[in-house]
Amino acid sequence: MTKFLAILKREYIQRVRAKMFVLSTILLPVVMSLFGIVPALVLSINAGGPMRIAVVDQTGKLYDRLAEAVSEERSEEKMERDRPGPQIGERTFKLEQAPSIGPDASAARSRLEQRIRAKELDGYLILPPDFLQTGKAEFFNNSPGDFLSGRPLESALNRAVREQRLIEARVDTGTRHAVFRPVDVQSLQVGAPGEKPGSDSSRFVLVFAVGFVMYLAILMYGQIILGAVIEEKETRIAEILFSSVKPFTLLMGKLVGVSLVALTQLAIWGTAFGAFALYGVNLLASRGVHTTMPAVPFAYYIYFGLFFLLGYFIYATIYALVGSMVTTPQEGGQLAMPIILILVVSFYLFLPVSRSPDSSFAFWVSMVPFSAPVAMPVRIVTQTPPLWQIALSLFIGFGAVVLIMWLASRIYRVGMLMYGKRASIPEAFRWARQA
Amino acid sequence: MATDITVELDRVSKSFGDFTAVRELSLTVRAGRVFGLLGPNGAGKTTTIRMIVNITAPDTGTIKLFGGKINPEVQNRIGYLPEERGLYRRMKIADQLRFFAELKNVRGKDVDQKIDEWLARVKLPEWKYKRSMELSKGMQQKVQFITAVLHDPDLLILDEPFSGLDPINTEVLKEIVLDLKRAGKTIIFSTHQMEVAEKICDDICLLNRSEKVLDGSLREIKSSFGRNAIAVRATGGDGVLDDPALVSKLVRHADETQALLAPGADAQVLLKRLINSGATIEKFEMVEPSLNDIFITKVTEHA
Repeated sequence: MTKFLAILKREYIQRVRAKMFVLSTILLPVVMSLFGIVPALVLSINAGGPMRIAVVDQTGKLYDRLAEAVSEERSEEKMERDRPGPQIGERTFKLEQAPSIGPDASAARSRLEQRIRAKELDGYLILPPDFLQTGKAEFFNNSPGDFLSGRPLESALNRAVREQRLIEARVDTGTRHAVFRPVDVQSLQVGAPGEKPGSDSSRFVLVFAVGFVMYLAILMYGQIILGAVIEEKETRIAEILFSSVKPFTLLMGKLVGVSLVALTQLAIWGTAFGAFALYGVNLLASRGVHTTMPAVPFAYYIYFGLFFLLGYFIYATIYALVGSMVTTPQEGGQLAMPIILILVVSFYLFLPVSRSPDSSFAFWVSMVPFSAPVAMPVRIVTQTPPLWQIALSLFIGFGAVVLIMWLASRIYRVGMLMYGKRASIPEAFRWARQA
Repeated sequence: MATDITVELDRVSKSFGDFTAVRELSLTVRAGRVFGLLGPNGAGKTTTIRMIVNITAPDTGTIKLFGGKINPEVQNRIGYLPEERGLYRRMKIADQLRFFAELKNVRGKDVDQKIDEWLARVKLPEWKYKRSMELSKGMQQKVQFITAVLHDPDLLILDEPFSGLDPINTEVLKEIVLDLKRAGKTIIFSTHQMEVAEKICDDICLLNRSEKVLDGSLREIKSSFGRNAIAVRATGGDGVLDDPALVSKLVRHADETQALLAPGADAQVLLKRLINSGATIEKFEMVEPSLNDIFITKVTEHA
């Protein structure tokens, strides 16, 4: 035990003291926020101002409706998103009615195209006389790659056509408005009448956040664990160590040591984020906007914590296992690729499990160590399973962690005696038996 | 007496797949002596040592340390310098040494004092707070040596400790080994350099192709071989020295020739033959065979 602590301590202190740790602790949040902000900024750059479109309305009925629909479409979206100002990638439209053209369409077209070339227009829309029946219109514009602009136009046109069709079917104004009134679905949990509306989705957000932090921690620290396991092989220290400690003690000490470094870093970020959020909440409150924390029972936080640790350790141990088989971090990186795949797949299990949390499928994936860290928290927030299932899932998971580490230490011991040789998977199993 | 025996191997074998690294090896290492595990590369020296320090387990046979089976407590009484050795590149020397001592359950203030003592002894005191990547290879090797002795082990196992060291540093470490022996420690050390072994070993075990060829006290071995080596300085008479019935091995140095007598051959007969052949003899001296000669004789006998 004291030797285990000695290894853990060395691993922890050496890493926390390193410049890399300090740098990454400071830089990662900066980089992450840049990744969050910069693309949004770039997409929101509205280079051309509103899009000027001439509408050739050969039906003679639709122009006003379309103009109305374009402006309504925007105000509705704004209400939904509850944010002022133009949205990401959204382009405003400026419509004008082109003089209705007679049978000689091509002359009118060439006039419009001339105006586009003269940069007076960005595009023109032709609604043929039978448009209300066929629904086929043509939109000419000079930047066909701008798929973001086409969509809102199409949906506004859809709306205008539907309204016109209703009018022609002699539906009265009240009914028409009723038809277009948007819906608002609130998701509530069964048997919990006291819950505030919206708490269900905020729980999912929480589960998702836990899963995401886990994913992040694995991506960042998996490679470090791999490196830590290989370190003694590369530097040829392993043999000195093995005359003093068991390989299992060594690997466990390393795993826990590196993990504490990861938790330290996450805790620093968490505290910083928490302080920032608190500041933000206060700032909003002072301006009259009140926000609430997700209404989640306290026990959930404990579950989330436990399953976060489980998820982290399951994947971290796999990295340790890979590290025990290879001789350089580069080799390990390649061999570790499938791990990321398993991680991603387990992450997506989020969806089917949340749809039917009491199915036997959900039960099994919440027992399998690789998927349990995501599946079980999802089940907990949707339909909390019996305690024994949660306990069993944790027991299987942490049991698997110890088992994998034991396996890794056996492979490590034999692998160390065969310097410079990377184990194939069957070889690794033979080594594990041999050790 | 059982307590006199520090390490005892009884018919120990170890194979890796089809390859037998050590076959039916039995040996005893007596307390307070320097035991040389000798043999050419690939003879099984390192595997034997790894089994003694419990890095690999023997397939068959038993190993006893200090009269019992290996356990963590016994492990702490062993100092081991493997042939493949390294240091943490970015760790300061003092920190590394403290870490390795902790792994032997030695900690506290004494350790710092001992670290200073040892660094002074191998002439590296000013490197205490340097990272090991800043040290030369020879310096690193001396630091590695300290990791093996810092916790004051009763049994010190050194695998090729002097390989790659310059003569001055070799001398420094050799002195330390002999000092430790005087302090009552048991030392096992392996090498393929017979000349080094000859100078510091009390007992030896010769390994070749996974098997023991010869073992015992160096002095007894040498005397049992008798003075069957002859240093000759002569002009002419080459044909006589080349006769395999008389001479089993011939090594020509710059100024003299070493001849190893063939089994059953008589030095007097050789001398007479040389005189009869008309050679001018400046020197004809019977000398103790070198360990190297003994080894080669033994290995060729077995082949």
